[in-house]
Amino acid sequence: MPTLDDLRRDIDRVDEVLVRLLNERARCACEIGALKKEQKVEIYQPEREKQVLEHVRSIAAEGPLDPDAIARLFERIMDEARRLERRVVHGELGEK
Amino acid sequence: MVVVMQERASEEQIAKVVARLVEAGMDVHRSTGVSRTVLGVVGQKRPDPGLIEMMDGVHEVMRISEPYKLASRTFKPEGTVVTVGDARIGGDEVIMMAGPCSAETEEQVNATAVAVRKAGAKIFRGGAFKPRSSPYSFQGLGEEGLKMLSAASKANNMALITEVMDANQIELIGRYADIYQVGARNMQNFTLLRELGNARKPVLLKRGLAATIEEWVMSAEYILAGGNNDVILCERGIRTFETATRNTFDLSAIPVVKKMSHLPVVADPSHGAGRRDMVVPMARAAVAAGADALIIEVHCDPDHALSDGAQSLFPAQFDRLMAELRIIAPAIGRTICLEPVARRGWGS
Repeated sequence: MPTLDDLRRDIDRVDEVLVRLLNERARCACEIGALKKEQKVEIYQPEREKQVLEHVRSIAAEGPLDPDAIARLFERIMDEARRLERRVVHGELGEK
Repeated sequence: MVVVMQERASEEQIAKVVARLVEAGMDVHRSTGVSRTVLGVVGQKRPDPGLIEMMDGVHEVMRISEPYKLASRTFKPEGTVVTVGDARIGGDEVIMMAGPCSAETEEQVNATAVAVRKAGAKIFRGGAFKPRSSPYSFQGLGEEGLKMLSAASKANNMALITEVMDANQIELIGRYADIYQVGARNMQNFTLLRELGNARKPVLLKRGLAATIEEWVMSAEYILAGGNNDVILCERGIRTFETATRNTFDLSAIPVVKKMSHLPVVADPSHGAGRRDMVVPMARAAVAAGADALIIEVHCDPDHALSDGAQSLFPAQFDRLMAELRIIAPAIGRTICLEPVARRGWGS
């Protein structure tokens, strides 16, 4: 049986990976922001956001987080991505 | 034999132990670790471990049963980190070494150097002396090539690794390169290995085409025995009955060597697979298996390369590989150079 300490170490490891992957996702969002600026496309794309949520719901079947829970988490992730894209479009982030 | 000193052993106590061992006709290799000092003891004679263990400041004395001593993990449990410029091979970051198989023209060397640096490589690779299977194949540009490689690596803030084929080239190559590479065909050229033991620059030792892991580590022992502690092992594929790939990339060698030895391990998926479409999957696997660095052939125009074109990646493929490795590495607690994304202005 793993001890409480073992399991907490597992949580820390997973968190490290999660944070790095969230940042990898955020970098992609920044690149998208730069392209949206260049192509003069709106930052907020409700259709695309719906697709993203459907996609993550479709792979959430294994649980224990159910598709609704995953969708709630991703709504927050997309909030932050939109905020980043806005900063890129306004020239606060990116190549000087 | 390994003498492990107590955590608070004084310099004087250490000196006394060293003196006793030297008196007994042994060679002593001292390794000062974070918490304690370890003495690696090699030689023909067998001093009585009991006598050494009784000395002040000694924590324990262990016999190393393996034929390799200085390369053994027992000698340095925390692992060796080889530092070249700002690259730490054997640390948390998986270091990328990339560049063309051989220097051909100034344009080719420069274009490739700019591309691999931009993608996040910290060490530039490239050959000036090429040990080819056929005497009629392109043999490299010699010193002219070294000059090109050195200029391109400096201009792009990378260290340079290049192959040394003969002991009489050590001095010349040392003037241009930061790491000596010993090729698979020279893994048991003991004259060359002994001379490199006297050099004071890191040596990347490739595994021979038909060498066992133990033979390979024994070759590293030759370099370490000369007092050069910065040895890096490189798996590059071995000869098997399989013909679908140029060599069979021995992925399992990476964790095996990590267990046997404290030396950093590098993977060369370019030679390991020998085919461009196999290089990327084997590179991903090598990082997952725990490689400390990758050495990859990248050419600005692989279809017109004078050597190893078929296994060289296009710069765009290398860039894509780096992005993939940035996702794989964190899963095993490692990182990959983030400079390319930082340059675009996206953080760190």
